[in-house]
Order: sequence, then structure tokens, then C-alpha cells
Amino acid sequence: MDFLTNLGQGFGVALTPWNLIFCAIGSVIGTAIGVLPGLGPPATVALLLPITYKMDPASAIIMLAGIFYGAMYGGSTTSILLNIPGEAASVVTCLDGYQMARQGRAGAALGISAMGSFIAGTVSVFGMSLVAPSLASFALKFGPPEYFSLVLLGLLMAVYLSEESVVKGLAMAGLGLLLGTVGIDPVLGATRFTFGISRLLDGFDFVVVAMGLFGISEVLINLEAPEIRDVFKTTFKGLLPTLEDWRRCWGSVVRGSLLGFFIGVLPGGGAIISSFISYAVEKRVSKHPEQFGKGAIEGVAGPEAANNAASTSSFIPLLTLGIPGNATIAMIFVALMIHGIRPGPLLLQEYPQLFWGVLCSMYIGNIMLLALNLPLIGMWVRLLTVPYHYLAVVVVIICVIGAYSVKSATFDVGAMVVFGVVGYLMRKGGFPAAPLILAMILGPMLERSLQQSLISSAGSPMIFIEKPISALLLAVAAFLMLTPVLKKMWRKRRQAG
Amino acid sequence: MKNRSDIIGSIFLFLLGIGAIIGAVQLKIGLPTEPQPGFFPFVGGIILLIFSTIIFLQGWLGTSKQQIAFGEIGRPALLLGVMILLVFVMDRLGYVMATFIASGLILRVLSVKSWRVLIITSLCLSIGTYILFDRLLGVDLPVGLLSHFGL
Repeated sequence: MDFLTNLGQGFGVALTPWNLIFCAIGSVIGTAIGVLPGLGPPATVALLLPITYKMDPASAIIMLAGIFYGAMYGGSTTSILLNIPGEAASVVTCLDGYQMARQGRAGAALGISAMGSFIAGTVSVFGMSLVAPSLASFALKFGPPEYFSLVLLGLLMAVYLSEESVVKGLAMAGLGLLLGTVGIDPVLGATRFTFGISRLLDGFDFVVVAMGLFGISEVLINLEAPEIRDVFKTTFKGLLPTLEDWRRCWGSVVRGSLLGFFIGVLPGGGAIISSFISYAVEKRVSKHPEQFGKGAIEGVAGPEAANNAASTSSFIPLLTLGIPGNATIAMIFVALMIHGIRPGPLLLQEYPQLFWGVLCSMYIGNIMLLALNLPLIGMWVRLLTVPYHYLAVVVVIICVIGAYSVKSATFDVGAMVVFGVVGYLMRKGGFPAAPLILAMILGPMLERSLQQSLISSAGSPMIFIEKPISALLLAVAAFLMLTPVLKKMWRKRRQAG
Repeated sequence: MKNRSDIIGSIFLFLLGIGAIIGAVQLKIGLPTEPQPGFFPFVGGIILLIFSTIIFLQGWLGTSKQQIAFGEIGRPALLLGVMILLVFVMDRLGYVMATFIASGLILRVLSVKSWRVLIITSLCLSIGTYILFDRLLGVDLPVGLLSHFGL
């Protein structure tokens, strides 16, 4: 009964005219950036943060969430029509989606991708409404030691499950922890690494760092390559998949939805990893694995469902535990903090309207996206013909406004440019930016819970092992750290044997 | 084959780690049982030292992935130059004028040949974003020279 009351409250918030408009704006912007290669959801959410400053918190998060899951819908369009993934999560869609387009079945590929995404998004929203309240009430039992272990595990998982090198990810997490210490110490009040610059007393602002690392660096990378976009010319003969298509891929959509939901809940296990795993699973369970890579519709349906389900369920650790699991969710974490709302287990009690409102808006957003994506495919394709330099100027200007608006200071604009160069060099060297920003956000939380734990235990680090939940979380973290070493040892032993 | 970008990157991170550790010691580290302000930066510094050393070794032994080559760096470099210029002139010239000049320069650099397109696009961008963000959304953007005109 409570569940229905909560959903009723949520729909009451999500269905207000302004929230419907913000949901539509977020979904459309998300689809557009998903379509356009070279501007990802973290950068877009960071770019649009200044717009949300004066908005109602629920409306702001509804719009930003729409960008995230909208991008997953849009990403498939470029994968299918251009063989260029608009989003990293749509990389595997290229394999069979583009082949389908070449065989004159672009419409069916786009259709199944949109409908699969809709079903997955809906499943994920339903799962979220069931799981999140229980998880939040469980997390209320957490004290500083459990939080320390949870944040540590979350950070390690985000690094471990990212698609880049684990060692480089851990180095970036170390750098992020250091950047998070700049300014006044949250516990003892000492000034750290400000080098006499008064503007650094509050530390580096997440918005400034994120805009540099994700926004400016992305523009710099894209400007290196020549602007050639060859849209595959095909006719969209019917966007609705045939009955035979549905017979072949309904199982893929269901498996992708469930897989995506559970992977999305894990920190770091967002849309990208779930789409890859889904593709591997579909190929394995298929009666015709030889058709994969040659236009198998299951190879489009499964991964597209998985990435959408994961993007929705990745809100669970943020809204219930206060742990952002990936870079886009980290930006939404920042947006909540800007509005004076601390994400975590208390959010559901203190701001039930926001929680249930955002959740229900995702359901509405999924319906909007289904309605938008299929009839507007022609428009999304035309969007790809807009020269990149116009987009580049817009991104740069919005980044400048965003950085300046933080404290009305050009110092922050300068800092953003510096982080843009750092982000550019990091991408060139294969150093992932997501662990850096996550560690920067989680670092002060980690430090505070560490110090509070040690104070409460009179300095004994055993407190982290004596508490069962904390001990379990640390054991998982240790296992994660040791897995690459154990894997190597096992491989060597197998080769020797 | 040695991976130059990993070697250079790891040396930079290693030096940063050393710097963090020196700074942390100056702040006082304390003990794990009673941490002082330098404790956490010290841990961050140690993490950087450990992993930068591993990255260095991987790069030196050639076991890491091949480095990514730089493409045409002229356009990114010019964009950066314009952005640095924008940082220095924005307060003095004001947002509208500074972004008008900056977007004009960026578009010119990024191969927009027609002056008419360039001027119209730059004007629309600078004035349009000023109206949207400053006037409608309440973001306080610098007025600069335009303050003489009562704006």
C-alpha cells in the first residue's frame, strides 16, 4: 500500500506541467547528445548545471536524469546509421546494427533499439521503486566505519569495472583524492595545498573540474580529427520490428533488462559494461551465434536494453547510499549538493517528493523517448550534418559561463582551461577521468568517516573489521584488488600445467 | 616497444606524489590512530607513488597498451590560445564583447570562411547566451565596458 501511495506522490510531482516540460527538455537534449558523437552525458550534465541553479531541486534532477537516459536512446542512432557509437555504451550496437542498416533493415534496428530501451527502462524503474526503499532503510544502520568501507569499495569498483586500465584508474583515483584535499580540512580546519591563493580555500569546485575534464578536453580531442561524417543513406521502410523480429529478440530484451538493472546498481558497473556483457550473453545463448556481427537483431536488442536499464538503476546507489557510481551520476550528485540536498539513506525520508518524483519522471521520460525517437529519427540524422565547429563554440561558451557562475570569478574559468588541458593529455595517455572526479567527490566523505571511526574507537583501526558489514565490504574490496594478481597466477599455472 | 606517453605521464604523477608527501609531512601526518591534516594527502601521495611506479614499469617494459598518437594539434592549440585570451579579457571587456571576439576567433580558426556567417553567429551566440543566462537565469556575468552604457 505504501508503495502505491509513494508512486502516487511521485507521479503527482512528475506530472506537474513544469516537470513534464523539464523531463521533455532533458530527454531531447539527452537524445541529441547521444546522437552527436563527441559530447558525452557527463560533459552535458556538467554544462547544464548552471541552468539548474535557480530551479526547483526535483525539476533540476528530473531534467538532468532525462539527459542521462535520453543519451542511451540517442547513442544507438549513430551506431546503426554511421557505425560510429554516439555513446561508449552503444559501441556493441555498431556490430550488428550497422550490418542490419546495410541490409536495408535500419528501420527495424532503430525500432527494436528504441522499444527494447523503453521496455528495459520501464523494468529498471519498477525494480528501482522496489529495491531503493529497502536499501535506504538498511543503509540507515550504517555508522562511519561502514560508510568508510562502502565508499572505499564503491571507489575501487568504479575503477575496477571501468573500461580503462585498472592501474591507471587507481592512479587517477589517488590524484582525485589529493585534489579533494585542497582547501580547508573538513575535520580539523587546517588549510591544505592552497599555496596562499585565497580562491582555493574552498578547494577546486567539482563543476569547474568536470567541465574541464569532460567538456573542454572533449572539444580539444574532437578538433584533432577532420570533420567527416558520412551518414549511411538508407530508406526507413517501417520502424516497427516484424513479428518474427519480436519472436527472435523478446528474450534478449528481457535478459538485457535484468542484466542491465543488476550491473547498473554496482558502482562503476554502468551502461557500458552491461551492454558488452549482454552482447556476450546473447551470442552464447543464441542458436545461431554465427549470425552475430552480420546483422543479428538480438545483438542490437540485448545490449540496447541493458544499457538503458543500467543507466536508470545506477541512480540507486546515489539516491540510497549517497555513492555516485559513474561520472554522470557524480555530476547529478553535485547538482543535489548545489541545492543543499545530501544524497544518502536520509534522502528518502527528508525529500520523499524528490525521490519518488524523479523515479516516476523516469517512467514518463521513457514514454516520451519512445514517442520522440521513432518519428524524429530523420531529424536526429540531419543533426549529424551540422558542422562540429558550431557545436564546439557553443560547448566552449557554456563551459565558460558554467565555470564563471560558480563564484563569479574568472579564476575558475582559468582553472577550467587548465583542467581541460589535463583532461586532454589524460585521454591521450589512456588515463580515465571518471575515477579522478569520483575520488575527488568521495575523498572528503572517506576522510571524514575515517577520522570519525578512529575517534569513536579511540584510535583502533580494528573497528573496520569488528563491524560485520564493514568487514564484509572490505573483504570484497580486498578481493577486487587481488583479482588481477590471482588471475595472472592462475593463467601462469595453467600454461605451466 | 616502450610506451612514451605512459613513461612521461608516470614521471609526472610520481613527482606529484612526492610533492604531496612533502606537503603532507609539513602539515603533520599524525598516526593512523590519531590522524592529522596531512594524513589523508599522505595516503593520496603514497597511492600516486605506487601506481605511477607500476605505470612507469609497464611503459618501460612495453607491456601496456600502445600509446595514442596525437592528431592535428594546430586547431586544439589555437582554441586553447583563444580561451586563455578570454580568461584575461573577460572582466575588462565584459562577457558579451569578450565572447563575441572569442567565438569569432574560434570559428575563424575552425575554418569558417564567410565573414558574414562568422559575425552573425558570434553575435547571436554572445548576445543570446547573455540574455539566456544573465537576464533569464540570473547567472551574474561580467558587464565590463558595457557598464558605461548603463547595462
